[in-house]
Amino acid sequence: METVTKQNTIKDKLIAEFDYSKNSFFGDLTLRSRAMESFAKQGIPSRKSEEYKYVNLGLILKGEFAFSSQHKISREQLVDTHILKNAIVIAIENGVLNLSNSELTNLPKGLQIIDITVASSNEIFQTHFSKYSDVDADPFVALNTALTNGGVFIHIAKGAIIEIPIHIIHISSVSENTIINPRNLIVVDGNANVTIIESFRNIDSKAKTFNNALTEIVIGENSIVDHYKIQDEKEFGFLLNTTHVNQNTKSVFTTETFTLSGSFVRNNLAIVLAGEHIESNLNGLYLTNENQVVDNHTLVDHRKPNCNSNELYKGIIEDKSSATFNGKIYVRKDAQKTNAFQSNKNILLSDDGTINTKPQLEIYADDVKCSHGTSTGKLDEEKVFYLRARGISEISAKKMLMHAFASEVVDTIKIVELRDFVEEKISKRFE
Amino acid sequence: MANEILAEQISSEYKYGFVTDIEADNAPKGLNEDIIRFISKKKNEPQWMLEYRLKAFKYWLTLEEPNWAHVSYIKPNFQDIIYYSAPKPKVQLNSLDEVDPELLKTFEKLGISIEEQKRLSGVESRIAVDIVMDSVSVKTTFKETLSEKGIIFCSFGEAVQEHPELVKKYMGSVVPYTDNFYAALNSAVFTDGSFCYIPKGVRCPMELSTYFRINASGTGQFERTLIVADEDAYVSYLEGCTAPMRDENQLHAAVVEIVTHKNAEVKYSTVQNWYPGDKNGKGGIFNFVTKRGVCLEDNSKISWTQVETGSAVTWKYPSVILKGDNSIGEFYSVALTNNHQQADTGTKMIHLGKNTRSTIISKGISAGFSNNSYRGLVRIAKGASNARNFSQCDSLLMGDKCGAHTFPYIEIKDKSAIVEHEATTSKIGEDQLFYCKQRGIDNEKAIGLIVNGYCKEVLNKLPMEFAVEAQKLLSVSLEGSVG
Repeated sequence: METVTKQNTIKDKLIAEFDYSKNSFFGDLTLRSRAMESFAKQGIPSRKSEEYKYVNLGLILKGEFAFSSQHKISREQLVDTHILKNAIVIAIENGVLNLSNSELTNLPKGLQIIDITVASSNEIFQTHFSKYSDVDADPFVALNTALTNGGVFIHIAKGAIIEIPIHIIHISSVSENTIINPRNLIVVDGNANVTIIESFRNIDSKAKTFNNALTEIVIGENSIVDHYKIQDEKEFGFLLNTTHVNQNTKSVFTTETFTLSGSFVRNNLAIVLAGEHIESNLNGLYLTNENQVVDNHTLVDHRKPNCNSNELYKGIIEDKSSATFNGKIYVRKDAQKTNAFQSNKNILLSDDGTINTKPQLEIYADDVKCSHGTSTGKLDEEKVFYLRARGISEISAKKMLMHAFASEVVDTIKIVELRDFVEEKISKRFE
Repeated sequence: MANEILAEQISSEYKYGFVTDIEADNAPKGLNEDIIRFISKKKNEPQWMLEYRLKAFKYWLTLEEPNWAHVSYIKPNFQDIIYYSAPKPKVQLNSLDEVDPELLKTFEKLGISIEEQKRLSGVESRIAVDIVMDSVSVKTTFKETLSEKGIIFCSFGEAVQEHPELVKKYMGSVVPYTDNFYAALNSAVFTDGSFCYIPKGVRCPMELSTYFRINASGTGQFERTLIVADEDAYVSYLEGCTAPMRDENQLHAAVVEIVTHKNAEVKYSTVQNWYPGDKNGKGGIFNFVTKRGVCLEDNSKISWTQVETGSAVTWKYPSVILKGDNSIGEFYSVALTNNHQQADTGTKMIHLGKNTRSTIISKGISAGFSNNSYRGLVRIAKGASNARNFSQCDSLLMGDKCGAHTFPYIEIKDKSAIVEHEATTSKIGEDQLFYCKQRGIDNEKAIGLIVNGYCKEVLNKLPMEFAVEAQKLLSVSLEGSVG
């Protein structure tokens, strides 16, 4: 019973926080009020909610929470989280854009980066903001929409080829439990090309950060967008990361999610294929240990004919950690000639680990090829034996096999520097 | 072409839609404690049975009808159902001559000729039949032959009278009345069903079979089947069902429980052909069934095979709890939906013991405006070492107005488990059709051929008599589905 009352408290507190600061918010207050109403209706989902069945949010959101942090992050600490030598860096510190720590000088032609708090007057922003994330569909979307106090709006103009990757660093550092709601909108016009990296990092904290981050991405006709997420939140990081993508005709979108650490990571990834001849690729790798909880929810919504989607999620589960994969392929009535593939593979290494997977197909068109597969097991004994027979110790043999297992996902990273970075992280993990 | 085929499809009518004109003994409509007492009294039940019913009823009152399944229908009004209906001249029947000739005619129409079986009795016939019409069991054949071996095969009502200790011990042990909404309802109002007990070391010499028939209008059918296989026992059990064509939706909420002891094996096969409603989705049976088996002790095996072609709405998950070490659970299913039928069916495999194995093969076929979902759970509990599961769920779509869905749940808490799941969805291959047509096989037959081939893995698991029926049924139900 206790958790129930606590849950109500956090919900009530969030509502009170909204009423208290509603006059200091930027942007459209009507939209925010509507979102808050919707949140009040939905509440924090319990384990009885089908979508949040395997995570105990009541427990995570127990206790006191602040809604912003004054903790300053130094330049050095931030530089420490850089991954690429040459990148357009956007620093979002405790959910708010910090221009002085960002590197936004000499932006290439066609690229526009605006603080979301001052973007309201921008016409393109107005057209797209909050159009792809339905506040009634998920309480955390509602919460983010109602309470966000920062983030970034990125616009890539028609025909622009942005060669330097854009790196959005989500960094948090708090001294008391804090809920932050960063919100990003990325609009890519037609015939454009861009690579976006989002990294999540929690440093120097002694209290929980609950990061309810939401990114909306709109991709115009014929555009190519690569999107990487590096989630390395460490012990005090609790991340609920929602990404909503809307793809138009003939666009190609690739998203790769690497979950390396963090006490709790929940990814809600939804891609709408709103045009024809679209290609979508979704890859993910999660390496969980200790008491970590990682939950990947994906939705691929095929709305129009002749589109392809490929999905591959892999996980290695250690210690008492638990990993969930819930992927849905939705093929609507009109989406004939759809090819949709989904695969989820897991290795469970410990006695106390848990794997839950739910790959789903919901199909209303007949001329389609859709499949999903999932497998869970231990490391293949025969492969271990093969290596050991060649004089390799059991431990190195196992490491080698795990590395090989992970590399199917890692190898798809197109930026060499980023690939090396992820590989190094993985090597360290298996040491 | 398309119109022609459509016309043909409409003309391929439900074969079993007749009504038998038999006087029936009905309870008044509605559901309350008095009705339950009435049923219990009618069946001359001991006090403990009545208490169990009332307990279940009280619990049922606290429940709400579940709506998580991927089906939509108008919820039945539970006060508008007759909970007890018995074909009237119900006296103890000793020989077939005493059976109401109307009844015999019914079963002849259904294709289960008791007469013929009688003629072949003794050496050749391999099937013993228990026939349940509306609420009560009307005839069980071969009871004597079976009892020589110590096998108890009788109606549930008889079992309550004659073997109360067995019923008391096993009833509700696999599906407790608290299990779900419809199991609770069934526990409160069930009227009859089959009971089967195979004693230690006995291999049942013939297939046991129950034939369910809904006849009376306005009734619901709530039967209960309990099968217990003691150590080293084996039985193969068949179940078939049909209902008349009516505009109303009739509710069928059954419970089937299976218990296997050490080294025992139970094979349960169903050909479900309740009336599916007309081509506009009017009428038809709501089939909300709880079926579960438990491999109680080591080395036991439970195998479910089902061919689901009937019912307006199906909601059914035959499950196996693999409690004993080295136990095996199997689920083979073909679910076919046409017109406005909806099916949400699948299985649960709960691995608790060591070295347990389970196999799931599910083939879904949807045509017309129907929706067909597979929903399944594979759970490997902590300590269930070396558990192994393989699942395969294929869906075949015919036409662009139907839907095929897969919702598998996989929960693993043991590192030595190996679990695989794969699913595909596609339509009938144009090249396969072309190949057949090229060889002079017409479209219709080619589809039948391909579908039967697609389902072969499952149909092979059915006993001979049923396999033939199932194959025919598939072809009939699909006539003209692809243009």
